[in-house]
Amino acid sequence: MKGDQCEMSDPPHVHIGFDKNELMLKTFLLMSVIAVASVAIMGIEALIHILTALGTVLITHNVIYSYQRWKDLDPTYGSPASPLVAGMIVALAMPIGGPYEVTAGVALLTILVFKYGQGKYFERKYLNPAAASKVLLLVLLSAMVIFEDPQRTGMLFHPHHLRLDLLSSSGFEASMWIFSGETLPILGTELSPAQSLLFWQTHGWIGGASGIVVLIVGAVAAYWLRFKWRIIVSTLVTMTVLAAVTGLYLGGDPLLRIAFHVFTGSVIFLAFFMATEPQSTPMPGSSQYMFGIGLAALTFVFQLTGVLGGSVIALVILNMLTPLLDKVNLKIPYGHREKKRGAS
Amino acid sequence: MMKGPRKDHEHHFKEQGGFEVDISMKKESIDDEFTEVPPADEMMVFLSQHIGPEAEPLVKKGDGVKYGEKIAGKEEQDHMMVPVHSPVTGTVQQIKDMPHPISGEKGRVVIIKTEESKKCPFYEPLGPASKQALLDRVREAGVVGLGGASFPTHVKLSEKGIDHLIINAKESDPNLACDVRLMIERPKEMIDGIKIMGKILGTEDITFATRTKEGETPRFEKLLKKSDINIARIRPNYSVGSERLLVKEVLDKEVPSGRFPPYVGAVVHNVATALAVSRAMEGESLVSRGLTLYSKKTGGKNLWVRMGTPIEHILRYLGASPSDFERIALGSIMMGPTVPNTSYPVLKATSGLTAFTSSERYPYKKQLACIRCGYCNTVCPVDIYPQQLMMAAKKGDVKRLKELHIEDCIDCGLCSYVCPSYIKLTPHLRRGQAHVKGDAVEDL
Ligand code: SF4
Ligand code: SF4
Repeated sequence: MKGDQCEMSDPPHVHIGFDKNELMLKTFLLMSVIAVASVAIMGIEALIHILTALGTVLITHNVIYSYQRWKDLDPTYGSPASPLVAGMIVALAMPIGGPYEVTAGVALLTILVFKYGQGKYFERKYLNPAAASKVLLLVLLSAMVIFEDPQRTGMLFHPHHLRLDLLSSSGFEASMWIFSGETLPILGTELSPAQSLLFWQTHGWIGGASGIVVLIVGAVAAYWLRFKWRIIVSTLVTMTVLAAVTGLYLGGDPLLRIAFHVFTGSVIFLAFFMATEPQSTPMPGSSQYMFGIGLAALTFVFQLTGVLGGSVIALVILNMLTPLLDKVNLKIPYGHREKKRGAS
Repeated sequence: MMKGPRKDHEHHFKEQGGFEVDISMKKESIDDEFTEVPPADEMMVFLSQHIGPEAEPLVKKGDGVKYGEKIAGKEEQDHMMVPVHSPVTGTVQQIKDMPHPISGEKGRVVIIKTEESKKCPFYEPLGPASKQALLDRVREAGVVGLGGASFPTHVKLSEKGIDHLIINAKESDPNLACDVRLMIERPKEMIDGIKIMGKILGTEDITFATRTKEGETPRFEKLLKKSDINIARIRPNYSVGSERLLVKEVLDKEVPSGRFPPYVGAVVHNVATALAVSRAMEGESLVSRGLTLYSKKTGGKNLWVRMGTPIEHILRYLGASPSDFERIALGSIMMGPTVPNTSYPVLKATSGLTAFTSSERYPYKKQLACIRCGYCNTVCPVDIYPQQLMMAAKKGDVKRLKELHIEDCIDCGLCSYVCPSYIKLTPHLRRGQAHVKGDAVEDL
């Protein structure tokens, strides 16, 4: 390849195969696969939630973008890919039974306050935008006495969840009625609660409708887009271990416990697509493990106390610890290791 | 027909964290035989072409000079000083100050009008000689490290207590191939040079570290075996080109921070430097070198160029025009400063020239916000945290910069290479180092 023949379309010094905007776009496309599966399983309501969240963020983003162009400012997001990812996360992190206006509210808070606002005033995002908005809005809604059934509207402390007894064997097994009675369409196969958690859930987080789809798509995304995989692995492993140990000590089929604690949407979807949000998670590898372990442990405690969607609260707490986790567990640089070994 | 470099492992280096560096350009350059570039009518010889003090001029305007004659550098000046020689036979037209293409600071330049391009060694060949005589010749001939750092070779060869000599033939830059090409075209001279270096250092434990595969440079390998020189085939990646990391790779010894390889009994020399040492014994001063010029317009070209040749002269010789290019870097696509204009000359340290056409997007022109993806941390070969260092450098937080070991950055540019937000981290890291040293910090 010499002379004119060697004109290539890519410059020679780029790069890892994608830039930030492409990274966001690819993340969005992968999440769309999960969204399609969720709509297939949960039906038209899931689609309305998704369109509501995406529509809200797109409109808000376009208004801000147009304003910035009009004022001759550098647009914060030159492409809608990043806002779209935020919108999709909001949609997939909402419970299917929640009111659409709550989804719209969370999406609006996400894009306006925790995405644009946080980025502008703190130079970086300390809190995961979707998780922070959801926690803020849902805590507010749940606490609002003006609603007839604030907890149902808030969907964070769902009344019947709070009454579940997950600490005893009989209580746990009795609680699994939520996941029984599902039948695979076309095949007509009736699913056990564990199978339902893995393949076909018709309530809970929209993004967790099929645990197995999230697992596969999430693994592809983590590998292809180089997500902070240590967080995913440590979260899921810790959750599995805690579930199994609880099953062994407190009773309840350990496998069913694992399926319940790992494959509910708030865990599996959050582990892959929310807990790995780069800005609000730690940099050092070992701190990422600590982050995942802490996230799983806190989520587990929330689950056992009946706050089944408590993973977002756990995530926000861990996000707040990230600046601290960034300062510990730093790798020992080349040139300092022998010294360190000699000292120990 | 291959569609893209990423599909074939032959066309990329794999870095820490699985990141790939495209080396399809290197592959293009390897097959290109060396072409000798004739000298320009006017040669511009900078008197600072090595790490150490600038050489004092020994000539003045109007003096006649011969090819290879010393034009600057008094022996008594400083141990780190290396003389500079005339690349042509001609007349000194002017001695003036110009911004140095690497440091950007003012440096003296001797402008020589070329009258004769013939090359005839200025010094007598050196027969069997003592270590000291060999060492003196290396210095007198102006030999410096040709891998890019231009450290005075006689200083490195004066180290005592050296057990291992490592010849760095890694040539890790993704678009340069002149070292491999020299191994193909001039194997005997190079190996002679390696043996002389071993003799001066008093070690027979010599390792030739290369990323080439067995059979890629057959004549060279045969001679290496005959000379009892070990071959270490090292990981084909970019970062291990650093001599501190190469010592770890070859000897499994870590050079402590702030120290150099002699601290662990090793000396690393570039393979092209070995050729310069061998030529010095034949009476040739270091006034020319092999380099690779890479651009989309010309492809990869291996050129034999005299120091002081203006870049625009080389481009014209290759049938290109300086106006075809928007930016020219002294070095490879990964590192190396951009020359202010094409009238700047080739230096001893110029192992490559990379010219970018205006149709090539300069990736760092429009930097996006950092998303804290951590790719830069993952790929960093010395395991420091470029993103955190950048933030500390922006704030001028010296305490944090020290905690994060800014001093260990080897300026390899890998962090910038992988950044999906097109952030050029290296200038921030250099500013961080300046903060720690208390030096003046330049604006970005
Ligand atoms: S690679 Fe770029 S975007 Fe990612 S953390 Fe480093 S500087 Fe930030
Ligand atoms: S330039 Fe410095 S910080 Fe960046 S990858 Fe290289 S050694 Fe690490």
